[in-house]
Amino acid sequence: MAREFRLLPRRPALAGLVIVLPLIMLLVLGGIFRAGIPTGMAVAVIDLDRSDLSRAVTRMLDAAPELTVTHRASDLSEARSLIVSGAVRGAVLMPQNLERDITRGARPEIVTFYDNQHMSAGSLVARGARNAIDTALAGLRLSVRQGQGEAPVQAMVALQPIPMQAHALFNPAFDYVHFLLAALIPTVLQIIAAAATAYAVSLDFGPGRHPRVLMRMAGGILPAMLGKILPYTVIFLLILGLSDVALYGWLAVPLRGSLWLVALGAVLFVLASQMIGALAFVLTRDMGRAASMIALITAPAFGFMGLGFPREAMSTLAQAWGAAIPGTWYVQLRIDQSLRATPLDISAMSVLWLAVIAGVLAALILAQLSRLARQEAAP
Amino acid sequence: MSALATAFRAELAAVLGDKQVRMIVLLALILYAVIYPLPYRAELLRDVPVVLVDQDGSTASADLARRVDASEAVALTHHAPDMAEATRLVHERRAYGVMLIPDGFERALLRGDQSPVALYADASYFLMYQRVMQGAAVPLRQMGAEIEAGRLIAQGTPRALATAQVSPAVQVEVPLFNPAAGYATYVLPAAFVLILQQTMMMGLALAATRRGPLPGHPVWRLLGRAGAWLAIWAGLLPVYLIVLPVLYGLPILGGPGALMMLGLPFLLAAGFLAQLVAALFRRGEVVQVVLLALGMPFFFLSGFAWPVEAIPAHLNALAQLIPSTAAIDGLVRVTQMGATLPEIAPILWHLWALVAGLGLVVLAVETVSPSRPAAPDRGPTAPSDSPAR
Repeated sequence: MAREFRLLPRRPALAGLVIVLPLIMLLVLGGIFRAGIPTGMAVAVIDLDRSDLSRAVTRMLDAAPELTVTHRASDLSEARSLIVSGAVRGAVLMPQNLERDITRGARPEIVTFYDNQHMSAGSLVARGARNAIDTALAGLRLSVRQGQGEAPVQAMVALQPIPMQAHALFNPAFDYVHFLLAALIPTVLQIIAAAATAYAVSLDFGPGRHPRVLMRMAGGILPAMLGKILPYTVIFLLILGLSDVALYGWLAVPLRGSLWLVALGAVLFVLASQMIGALAFVLTRDMGRAASMIALITAPAFGFMGLGFPREAMSTLAQAWGAAIPGTWYVQLRIDQSLRATPLDISAMSVLWLAVIAGVLAALILAQLSRLARQEAAP
Repeated sequence: MSALATAFRAELAAVLGDKQVRMIVLLALILYAVIYPLPYRAELLRDVPVVLVDQDGSTASADLARRVDASEAVALTHHAPDMAEATRLVHERRAYGVMLIPDGFERALLRGDQSPVALYADASYFLMYQRVMQGAAVPLRQMGAEIEAGRLIAQGTPRALATAQVSPAVQVEVPLFNPAAGYATYVLPAAFVLILQQTMMMGLALAATRRGPLPGHPVWRLLGRAGAWLAIWAGLLPVYLIVLPVLYGLPILGGPGALMMLGLPFLLAAGFLAQLVAALFRRGEVVQVVLLALGMPFFFLSGFAWPVEAIPAHLNALAQLIPSTAAIDGLVRVTQMGATLPEIAPILWHLWALVAGLGLVVLAVETVSPSRPAAPDRGPTAPSDSPAR
């Protein structure tokens, strides 16, 4: 193990992969999501009415935190072109005679068009526009009732017989940093841990090298393998720790659960990720093919964690594939213990799964190693 | 000119002849196309489970519950006597929201008071939160409007006027493109562009680390190589951007002409960038790991899933140097939104500027070190190709 630490400074490529690369990833990912909540999506207004009311609605739209009115379009096709070219993310159409029709009680339509191909931005636009128009219309309804002689407070109450008190569970600030970053960092680290470990192992166990020399030095195949893996476990845990300091300190993500459970999960997660790499290498005995194998397992892992599209809504096959990947359980554990303050007995399941995955991977590596040892022993 | 032809043939052989490079390029296509879309096949979130805590137990509360349950977005799958039990179900991920109808709900309505209902939605899953809020808000608003109108009519307001007073204008929301809000339709077209870029760069960078010295002026050698990339990926690009989307049932609005016009500078820029990555990291193993790790950051830097408005300006400027940033934006607009070439002209110019810029840098690098020796680190990989096959 000490040998591995001594070797590290002499192998700049390896040191770069296990230290510099993860740190750069940390900085870039942290930088992308620093803003936390996307605001100020560009929208166009198609104001065919040009009345006091339509101007009031436009002001309300611009005042919504989600939106900024950047363009005025004269008709629908112009608005559509603005949306397609990416100049704006949505458009609000106020028809001719809007104000007159409203006072006559003809209930005209106010239409919000939004770009749902870019769904994350599009749904923000829809929400912002809905709230802004609601506010504008509520003001109108309020003034009608007050005009009929109702007291302001009474009129206010009458507007909404069943108000909805909305609560955002576990994430009251509705901040994306909390869950996206908490999942992206482990995803990227899983890729790097697996690939770098495979690379480190390839330097000593690869064809043309003499693993037996190393084995004699370390006193057996198991200590030799552990000596290759554990030093990097320490390094990756330090990096994970650093990212946690950044998340919980700098970006102020709340930590509501058990730190010990998360720490135990982190150790199992890093070990399991590394063993994916080690197993890929001892199976293929070729870094190129090992890298492809690692890529297939770890690169698409983010989707299977269910942060965008929830796991519960996936097919059984996708759920099973996700369950076999250590990152899925570690990210679930992190979110449970940092944001959701999940009771320990529920969260312990994630740790258990991580332990099972780590155990199975270790058994597979040992089985393959002893097979290789027998092959080498036989002439 | 013969240098150009030599470089063209050598690059073709390097990509198609090398087992490892061929595996990355072709196997990746097949497997990524199968594994990546797997989580998103279900497309839509319907009937998200929600717990009902009905402390009123009245006709009105049952009516409200029935209306919410009938919405497409949510289903009231569990009933719990109190919030503690309901929260436990959410912790277990058996439900993603709680609707609490407090005691006295019906009484307050009959008296003509405000009668609030509380909705707790799991905000650690953005999509679930949205669906739960959506599923409950619409029926609540509708029931509220009916009650308000009812009260007005009771006060003697004519029916038509009462409706107009309750909702003076009709709010219509029209999603343009991806009208069903399908998750696969949203994420896959962009993901395919990124996968194409990453696997292409991986293959070409690997080939570059193994390249021996070739005769001729660097300009001809580079042009020859670029020709080889186009020859290979002109076939693969439509597979990623037309065939795969069709197989997954995604809508395609754009024509193949605009697609190829955008694809040409995209492929060239990615190829040049791959040369730089190879020159920077030298070893094939390292190149692969680095490109593998960069996939996720590249995706989020592109401003597709995470709106570009929320990316800090300096990072966004850096992101413009990555071909996928402009290519994802442009290709998604062409294939999914039916954008015409004039509408995406800035993106097209952006990509061509990248081609010119990156091309010049590659040329400068290759002129400075004209005959870089074949990568020194073939050691652990090359001889092993035989036994396992």
